[in-house]
Amino acid sequence: MPEPTPVLELSGVCAAYGRIEVLHGVDFVIPPASVFALLGPNGAGKSTTLKVVSGQMQPTAGQVRMMGRPVAGASTEALARTGVCTIPEGRGIFPSLTVRENLRMVTYAGVGLSAVEERAYTQFPRLKERRRQVAGTMSGGEQQMLAMARALTTNPALLLLDELSMGLAPLIVEQLFELVAQIAAGGISILIVEQFAATVLEVANLAGLMLHGRVQQVGTPAELHDVLSGAYLGGVDA
Amino acid sequence: MTTTDQGAAPSSRLEEFEREINELKVRAQATGPEGRLLILGAVLLVAGLVLIAVAWVRASGTNDFNDQISYLISGGLGGVGAAVVGCALYVRTAMSRYLRYWLIRMVYEQRAQTDRIVEALKK
Repeated sequence: MPEPTPVLELSGVCAAYGRIEVLHGVDFVIPPASVFALLGPNGAGKSTTLKVVSGQMQPTAGQVRMMGRPVAGASTEALARTGVCTIPEGRGIFPSLTVRENLRMVTYAGVGLSAVEERAYTQFPRLKERRRQVAGTMSGGEQQMLAMARALTTNPALLLLDELSMGLAPLIVEQLFELVAQIAAGGISILIVEQFAATVLEVANLAGLMLHGRVQQVGTPAELHDVLSGAYLGGVDA
Repeated sequence: MTTTDQGAAPSSRLEEFEREINELKVRAQATGPEGRLLILGAVLLVAGLVLIAVAWVRASGTNDFNDQISYLISGGLGGVGAAVVGCALYVRTAMSRYLRYWLIRMVYEQRAQTDRIVEALKK
């Protein structure tokens, strides 16, 4: 049986801020309906890789392919329209708007507010209880749920999550990653960037270890677990 | 361990995604705006200085006060304006490049230091 076309494939991707190169040849492949965890310490180039994939930065060398087609040079808006959806570090919600108003902001994609709300509240019942609350006053986990709800209502095909667990309690992180697994089971491919590996490895199909602007190793979570137990996280037991 | 079915059959959404990706217009990679700003700044600076020189030569070559005033306004002031704007653009772009380099250098040093501490702790 032939291998399915990867949803996302990066080969030899280099990227730079001005003349300072921060990605020195990034290679990895994400098959359909799978969760790929990109792990590594602060400054390894993980978020820059996400920016390249989402079109916010153009690679200086190498290829970014989606469904087998090179997409480097496509605008962020065009990629977003096809179904590449980013949840940025820091949640990317409007903190001064209510939950409902935040959801209203995704109706630009042509989906009515009632449909958006129905989908969001079905997946995240907690948001229904909070729909009149100003988003910035909710807990970190609820804000992250809102960010994910906003992303999912756009019907993404490739979801890019940047530091989902940042600043959240371990229990909330576990719940969010359970949701990530459910989303992937629904056919959406997910690239998730994380600094702390423990929980994300439980939901990932594949993981890559990124250090100094390169993906040093790609494998199953079990294969990477031993490597991660080393010193790359600065002594944090992964 | 919760995992999803890797390599599942492509859903209709995936097929739709593939179609949309194939229809995507991919433009050639453009050079960064920063490089263009730097060049524009340098060009404006040089053009401004040339304008000032031309205005000075023209004004000194005539005894007509009205002509001198018009050279002063069109060449001199225009040249000074272009030179100031060009200089500001150039300095701003060059400084942002330098500060970015400095910031990345700091991050690199910090990372190297962390690596050294980790190495030392492992011994």
